[in-house]
Amino acid sequence: MQIEVRGLTKIYGDLHAVDGIDFEVRAGEIFSLRGPNGAGKTTTVEILEGLRNPTGGDARVLGVDVANDYRKIRERVGVLPQDFEPFDRLRPPEAVAYWATLFNRRMEKSEVDALIETVGLTARAKSYAMFLSGGEKRRLGIALALVGRPDIVFLDEPTTGLDPGARRDLWGLIRGLKGAGKTVVLTTHYLDEAEQLADHVAIMNKGKIVARGTPEELIVKHGHGTRIVLAGAGQEGLRALAARGIDAKLENSDVVVHVPTAADVKNMLSKLAPLDVPLREIYTRRDTLEDVFLRLVGARMREGVLAE
Amino acid sequence: MRRVIADLVAFGRQYMRSRIGAFFAFAFPVILILLFGAIFSGQGGTKIPVYVQDLDDSPTSRAFLAALNNTTVIEYRNIPPNVDILDHIQANSINTALRIPADFESSILANNSVNVTLYGDPTLSTYGIAAAAVSGAATGMNFYLAGALPLIGMDAQTVARDQFKFIDFFLPGMIGFTVLTNALFAMTPTAAEYRTRKYFKFLATTTLTKGEWLIAKVLFYTLIMTVSALIIFTVSAVVWGGKAVLTPLTFAFIAAGCFEFTSLGMALGMYTKDVETASAVSNAIGFPMMFLGGTFFQIEAMPPVIQGLAAAMPLTYLNEGLRATMIFGNEGKALLYLGITLVLGFVFFLIPAKLLSWKSK
Repeated sequence: MQIEVRGLTKIYGDLHAVDGIDFEVRAGEIFSLRGPNGAGKTTTVEILEGLRNPTGGDARVLGVDVANDYRKIRERVGVLPQDFEPFDRLRPPEAVAYWATLFNRRMEKSEVDALIETVGLTARAKSYAMFLSGGEKRRLGIALALVGRPDIVFLDEPTTGLDPGARRDLWGLIRGLKGAGKTVVLTTHYLDEAEQLADHVAIMNKGKIVARGTPEELIVKHGHGTRIVLAGAGQEGLRALAARGIDAKLENSDVVVHVPTAADVKNMLSKLAPLDVPLREIYTRRDTLEDVFLRLVGARMREGVLAE
Repeated sequence: MRRVIADLVAFGRQYMRSRIGAFFAFAFPVILILLFGAIFSGQGGTKIPVYVQDLDDSPTSRAFLAALNNTTVIEYRNIPPNVDILDHIQANSINTALRIPADFESSILANNSVNVTLYGDPTLSTYGIAAAAVSGAATGMNFYLAGALPLIGMDAQTVARDQFKFIDFFLPGMIGFTVLTNALFAMTPTAAEYRTRKYFKFLATTTLTKGEWLIAKVLFYTLIMTVSALIIFTVSAVVWGGKAVLTPLTFAFIAAGCFEFTSLGMALGMYTKDVETASAVSNAIGFPMMFLGGTFFQIEAMPPVIQGLAAAMPLTYLNEGLRATMIFGNEGKALLYLGITLVLGFVFFLIPAKLLSWKSK
């Protein structure tokens, strides 16, 4: 395990910012910590980055107790902090070379150029960082997180505030890190990001981890199965299904039929095929991680405890 | 050491590229030395203008005005005899004026005393100089008319080790002022910016230590202030013929001053909530030091209470120490003031070194 967390707590006065959480991260995977603002994600990650001391529990990164021996692994960990801002008047290659020295590395120009190319900033290499776009600044931040050739990379909200195109570009870069064998800890509050990128996801709310697993596991465990949508079938469609004893509900002008598992879809479709009602199309819809997240963090999680 | 140099280079690049930093490090002190040199070097209009209404316009009154001119501190300009002198003073915003009465010559020839009238604001230093000059000219003329010879005269002898000019006394203060403005005024907002933009937190993820970061800043300011001092010194010598000397202690003072004010700037920056507040705080602390620390005005000429305040200003010891070594050759006093500057520097350095945390709570 690259990261092991057991009973980790961080308390500020009466506030339990992190409340006895457990999780682990395996080598070479993308692990995503998700949750709403104030859930305790950044506090957790900053403890793992050696930037905060925990109140209690045990957190080990690369086998080292982060509260006491973080300096032993500092050079093996790369960090892109939340709200990262580069130094305004340094050009990307200058910033990379400077940061490398702070990780006790002397990078040749060719190495710097290669890293700049990896993060897609070659065309902007002569610009001061202050003139880079939001996405380019994050790319530079990722380059800085990589200068020490880390085993683990922490990316804290790397795509916050970026436009969809820039976000997808960064996703490609993050997948590339996994491809290069890095372990990535990704903190995000974007609902689609973890589903797209993460091998394992932990959902935090009010300092607790309320669910964790692969995206598929979470969807299966906490989702509401699959729905068949008869788009535009309206009241007439609803009556026709009721006449055949099929339970359905009307959502706007669409009729939605719930089936418990994906295996039931074929049977249900065969029942629906003979129906002679006007409709635009038929399609299936499955819960996304976003639906699961909203369900867990929303109505059922108001007390901060997962209702199994 | 590699990390310190890397941080110094990265910080220096940003500082010099900001242009404002480069301006205050190099251009601003040169402008000041040229400006103050022009004002006080004795070239072009350093005489006090006194406006004279000569209602007598006689050979004796003209002789009196010639005696006034010979004092070399006054340049007289005429007020027409047909105007009311008070109206003329008010209409032309005149600071100092002299009225010679119409019976000036006739009274003297009749052996009667006669008064000239000096108009002006006694709170202005120019009035005091003009009054002394008028009184001196009158005394000289009285001696002449009485056929007496003055028995007591005065020889002027400079106490400095060479024939120094005002610019030489100004130069050490200018170096101290430049160290103060660059190290303190730049470092306070920089420390605040590093905190608010979370650079400290980002740096905490590297192997750079807090001490290394602090030392890099002190070294950077020492480096650019040394260059700046050399430029100021050269301008002073070439343009104004300055004769102050650069001694090894001069450079020790520059390093100690940078250590002191960079550390103070970092300490202040730690406790200010944003860059704007940091600038205001450094101004609030730096400006009194600039004016009371012996940069522009001689501390000995200040009222006792202000002298007491000046003694509490760190800049005083930097300025006076530089003056001691660069002008008077008083190395004993210079070493004492260097020691005070270093002790204050250590105190200021310990505050950010001990209390500044890159980690979050």
